Amino acid sequence: MGGAAMNADVTFLADTALAIVRAVPVTLGLFVASAIGASLLGGGLVAALTAGLAPVRGIARGWIFLFRGTPLLLQIFMVYYGLAALGPVRQGPFWPAFRDPLFCAGLAMTCCCSAYIAEVLRGALAAIPAGQIEAALACGMGRVTRLRLIVLPQMLRLALPAYGNELVMMVKSTSLASTITVLDVTGVAQQVIAHSYRTLDVFCLAAGVYLGLTGALTALLRWAERRLDPTVSDGAGEGASR
Amino acid sequence: MTDAIPVLRATGIEKSFGGRKVLKGIDLDAAKGEVISILGGSGSGKSTFLRCLNLLEMPDVGEISIAGTPAPLVRDRHGALRVSDARALGSMRARTAMVFQGFNLWSHMRVIDNVIAAPVHVHGMAREEAVERAHALLERVGMGGFAQHWPRQLSGGQQQRVAIARALATDPELMLFDEPTSALDPERVREVLDLMRSLAAEGRTMLVVTHEMAFARDVSTRVVHVREGRIESMGPPAQMFGPDASPAFRAFLSA
Ligand SMILES: Nc1ncnc2c1ncn2[C@@H]1O[C@H](COP(=O)(O)OP(=O)(O)O)[C@@H](O)[C@H]1O
Ligand SMILES: [Mg+2]
Repeated sequence: MGGAAMNADVTFLADTALAIVRAVPVTLGLFVASAIGASLLGGGLVAALTAGLAPVRGIARGWIFLFRGTPLLLQIFMVYYGLAALGPVRQGPFWPAFRDPLFCAGLAMTCCCSAYIAEVLRGALAAIPAGQIEAALACGMGRVTRLRLIVLPQMLRLALPAYGNELVMMVKSTSLASTITVLDVTGVAQQVIAHSYRTLDVFCLAAGVYLGLTGALTALLRWAERRLDPTVSDGAGEGASR
Repeated sequence: MTDAIPVLRATGIEKSFGGRKVLKGIDLDAAKGEVISILGGSGSGKSTFLRCLNLLEMPDVGEISIAGTPAPLVRDRHGALRVSDARALGSMRARTAMVFQGFNLWSHMRVIDNVIAAPVHVHGMAREEAVERAHALLERVGMGGFAQHWPRQLSGGQQQRVAIARALATDPELMLFDEPTSALDPERVREVLDLMRSLAAEGRTMLVVTHEMAFARDVSTRVVHVREGRIESMGPPAQMFGPDASPAFRAFLSA
């Protein structure tokens, strides 16, 4: 029976795999850009949350409430379809950006994930042992030195596991961009399905690509965690002495 | 007559937490080379007093000066004390050192980096010099082989000895110890107490909150009994541990 059919099958899968892999830069670019944007914005939000001025804190809290409390999919629709319906946006200088679905998806993801990252960083800040801050105060370290030498490095270490989790979620969230015509990994998979009427194997290929991406990211995060503190995985012992 | 200027002069220190007065006016001077043991029941305000001296806790009322330099405090318009000059506060703290019950080593830094942090980043010492001195200090506290270890790889006694090396690294004029052996296993207490004895012997000015009576009796030049936020009695150990001690202190000792 199916020598020819089998061949057609292999060809189809190979072509599909190639098309999906070609879409990886779109998925990856969307992820990297919004991860950087969300991290910077999240850091800014934490700075605002700890600011002396009440209105500044209020704005940061409102931002987090808004973007953490509504679905990302809705936010993507609001940016792409919603803003396009506004005259000033259509006539404004940024219209070329706002009519680009990839930009809109990135913007929505940046805003949404900044709220989660801010919460992660805030938790890490609160988890820094008070005694270590007191030790820094007691030896006369000023604000900037304390921040640079003690607070930020500690915060980074404490935040890393939850922050890494957030990044993995973000990789997967990029697939929502396909709903506004972005041809990312999921978008391309859906396109192939629309032509071929084959679903399961195509989706499996796409899933495999996401697994590869999140797997690589997880390995990278584990490496970073170990680098920041070799005793984390080595366990206690003489291992760290040179 | 510079010798006459006390290393520490604290006058009329008062402090309340949520309307409850924890320190009710404490006066204490420490001359150069004095080792003052502060004894008293739990909750009597010993830690709070010690923490007021380097302004980890802001007193409500009182004056503090370190080797003649007054703490940079002013009254705001509500009469509360606040820091008038952050830089002066930093340099006041830089001249003192504190050793905590819980060690408080910076857990993200290796032992050596804990010891050089203040010399390099507060006092502006060259890194090579600070490292060299740190190795000598670690040797002195018996932690010479542990420079590249992480704090969590060390026992409590070892961590506390590193914390003492860290405190010594800036050659402080005044050392504050808040129950430095209370968190240690009994068999580790001695290694820290022996080290503190050697600091006393070399003429360091020390304020030590402790429950180690032998240390208070044998090492200190003065024993201070704090009770309910006041200095109930104080004097040389021979007097405080002798028959003329105040009844309250004798009651505390026998409790
Ligand atoms: N930050 C704080 N907030 C509220 N109460 C405090 C604080 N620090 C200390 N206290 C209270 O002040 C009293 C004295 O505490 P402390 O100075 O730690 O006593 P000691 O060191 O003599 O055991 C205690 O009743 C304690 O509960
Ligand atoms: Mg105490």
